[in-house]
Amino acid sequence: MRAALLGYVIFAVILLGGWELIARLDLVDPELLPPFSQVCAILWQFMHDPRFTADLGVTAGEVGVAFLIAAPLAVTSGFLLGERLLLAQTFNPVVHFILAVPQSIFLPVFILAFGIGFLEKVLFGITHAYFVILVNSFAAVRSIPHPLIAVAHVFGATPAQIYTRIYLPAMLPLVLTGLRIGMVLCIIAVARVFGATPAQIYTRIYLPAMLPLVLTGLRIGMVLCIIGVLLAEMYASRSGIGRRIFGWGESAQIPELLAGIMLVSILTIAVNETMRLAELHVGRFYRRTSIA
Amino acid sequence: MIRPRTVKTLLILAAAVAAWELIVRLGLISAIILAAPSDIALAAAKDGFVFARALATTLFEIGTAILIAWTLGVGLGILLGSSHAWAAAAAPVLSSLFAIPLIIIYPLLMAWLGIGALSKIVFGVLSGFFPIALNTIDGVRAVEQRYIVFARSVGATPLQTHARIIFPLALPAIVSGLRVGTGLVVIGVVVTEMLASLGGVGFLISYHRTLFDTGHVYFGMLLALLVAVGVNLALTRLDRRVGSWREQGEG
Amino acid sequence: MPIIEVTSLAKDFRTGGAVVHALADVSFSVEEGRFVTLVGPSGCGKSTLLQILAGLISATRGEVRIAGEPIRAPMPDKIGMVFQDPTLLPWKTALANVEFPLDLRGIDRATRRKRCSDLLKLVGLGEFADNYPHELSGGMRQRVAIARGLAPDPRLMLMDEPFAALDEQTRTRMGHDLLEIWEKTRKTVFFITHSLTEAIYLSETVLVMSARPGRILDTIPIEFPRPRELDLIGTERFGRIRNRIWHLIADTPK
Repeated sequence: MRAALLGYVIFAVILLGGWELIARLDLVDPELLPPFSQVCAILWQFMHDPRFTADLGVTAGEVGVAFLIAAPLAVTSGFLLGERLLLAQTFNPVVHFILAVPQSIFLPVFILAFGIGFLEKVLFGITHAYFVILVNSFAAVRSIPHPLIAVAHVFGATPAQIYTRIYLPAMLPLVLTGLRIGMVLCIIAVARVFGATPAQIYTRIYLPAMLPLVLTGLRIGMVLCIIGVLLAEMYASRSGIGRRIFGWGESAQIPELLAGIMLVSILTIAVNETMRLAELHVGRFYRRTSIA
Repeated sequence: MIRPRTVKTLLILAAAVAAWELIVRLGLISAIILAAPSDIALAAAKDGFVFARALATTLFEIGTAILIAWTLGVGLGILLGSSHAWAAAAAPVLSSLFAIPLIIIYPLLMAWLGIGALSKIVFGVLSGFFPIALNTIDGVRAVEQRYIVFARSVGATPLQTHARIIFPLALPAIVSGLRVGTGLVVIGVVVTEMLASLGGVGFLISYHRTLFDTGHVYFGMLLALLVAVGVNLALTRLDRRVGSWREQGEG
Repeated sequence: MPIIEVTSLAKDFRTGGAVVHALADVSFSVEEGRFVTLVGPSGCGKSTLLQILAGLISATRGEVRIAGEPIRAPMPDKIGMVFQDPTLLPWKTALANVEFPLDLRGIDRATRRKRCSDLLKLVGLGEFADNYPHELSGGMRQRVAIARGLAPDPRLMLMDEPFAALDEQTRTRMGHDLLEIWEKTRKTVFFITHSLTEAIYLSETVLVMSARPGRILDTIPIEFPRPRELDLIGTERFGRIRNRIWHLIADTPK
């Protein structure tokens, strides 16, 4: 843990310190690399410029809306597909093909078909986030041994007594073939003896097992969503921070360019790390409160 | 001897292409959005040579970027992975940096290096570098201490230990990283060509888009997809071959 | 001249803030050509001692001489090692694994091949030269490791609980076969184990080590004639020696 912190500090010092030094010592043409301090000043100005913050808001809005739509859709479809193996087998190759193919390449066609406006960029972001989240949620459900999924259904549909008297004995042969399956079923049996309700078993044993994978999928989906939205903006949009940055690139306004890149980098790293922290904490929390 | 299963697949493909052609010809989907197979074939026939030259440019950029990304990524990965201190410090930084949408850095490369092949190559290298380095670090760190002890006990020099024991042991992880990284290199090059370029397949795709030459756009995309899928397939084969003994392990 | 001479050896480890005394005042010597075992409870420092003998770690105090020279770094030409885990290279065949130490030294292929094929035949794996580690059983892998340890023709073989990970039957058989190999090659063998049975059956001298901090409690000569068959283990005399050593370890205050 301490090593990681030290790593960040060393990196920041080398990168930013080196940058400032190189620029100040005129080792490189100041047109090409303005000093870090100058870039910070420009960034500070930007944050007070309403047009800039408006563009920033547009981008953030596109990312936010895309993610808020894609995430629940993908998680639910991932769970559904995970539980209904037949459906999964049909869709599996399609999804994997889509994942293997770089989606960014389809941007020109996307724009041909839909044009480029706020909604269109949102849609593009959704396509980027959706499949990753879907696959991770699917994997999360599949990571629970199959007999237990059947058990979950039974829990929801039939009274507990029927389960213990009919289904559990029927499933025992399956249990005996897999130590891990057996262990978790034992845990469930013990939990039932202690009076845990089906809902509690579902939330305290299944969910902790699935949640980490789902959260990772969400985080990666968010990162991809941001990439998709920014790309679309840079390519053919009239608004958004991506558009601005690309414009500065075309006209080689380097101080502004660096300021924009810095801002986007900081924001995306912040989002990623926050979601990663959430992953860690939820995992720990569930591990502490669950029986498994 | 052609297997019946191959014939079946080919028939299904032919049927799909025919259906595709019909859907566009009948106007069910506008020809501006979805190019009919015949339009694509026309584009190929008409400007095949132009596209071939563009493909050569793109492949050159991709190839160069791959070489550099592999060397830098694996080299740095082995160096960083060999030292506990550096690895522990570097890996979190690298994986945090990975979250930055690399595409946002392209305008900077544009400003510094212009819109020729160089900026594409540099961007390609940047795209592929992180996963390769990260996976290599993981692979090297995962090498069990008993192999290092063994190496010392038989008198292997540090170079021999790294090249003949650590590197092969880490290879499955490294190749896995190469697979992801190389895919990103390909995407990176093509996308930046689409954004701003003087040549290459991506450039042609963008150019024809502005002219609404959907047939040409789709042809270009097909070429780009072929490259991406081809590279992915080649590396997946490599990944599987290298991983075969890893799965089985040893005592 | 004894091939191993250990005088007043001590080893301390610093972990965090505390100091762990792994070995305290260990002294013994081993003559060339002997089969000697070291036995002691888990965690007593046996492996630490072996690593010092091998030159893999340094001593805190005292002196260790191998073939008259003080040892500071591994001597791969004089010392061969076999670990508890065979640690074979998974992408190499059995033969290639045995050849590896010679390959590192740049010995030409023909010489390597001949010597290592013979070694594989010696350990009973002549037909498995082209098999990969994952195709071999645990016992077979350990045999390859033994052949590999013998490849540089060392004067001394250090063996760190090489059979501990095997099941009992394989383990017993391996011990018997190891003695056959030893009779043919007559290397000096320094063999570490926590199994009293194994220690007594294999060697002619058993060094008994105490619990941590490890020191030599006693040196027990084993006078059974060679070659030794496995039913020796069930005899009364064997049992008495075994009891004696057991009490020696169990009754020593820590």
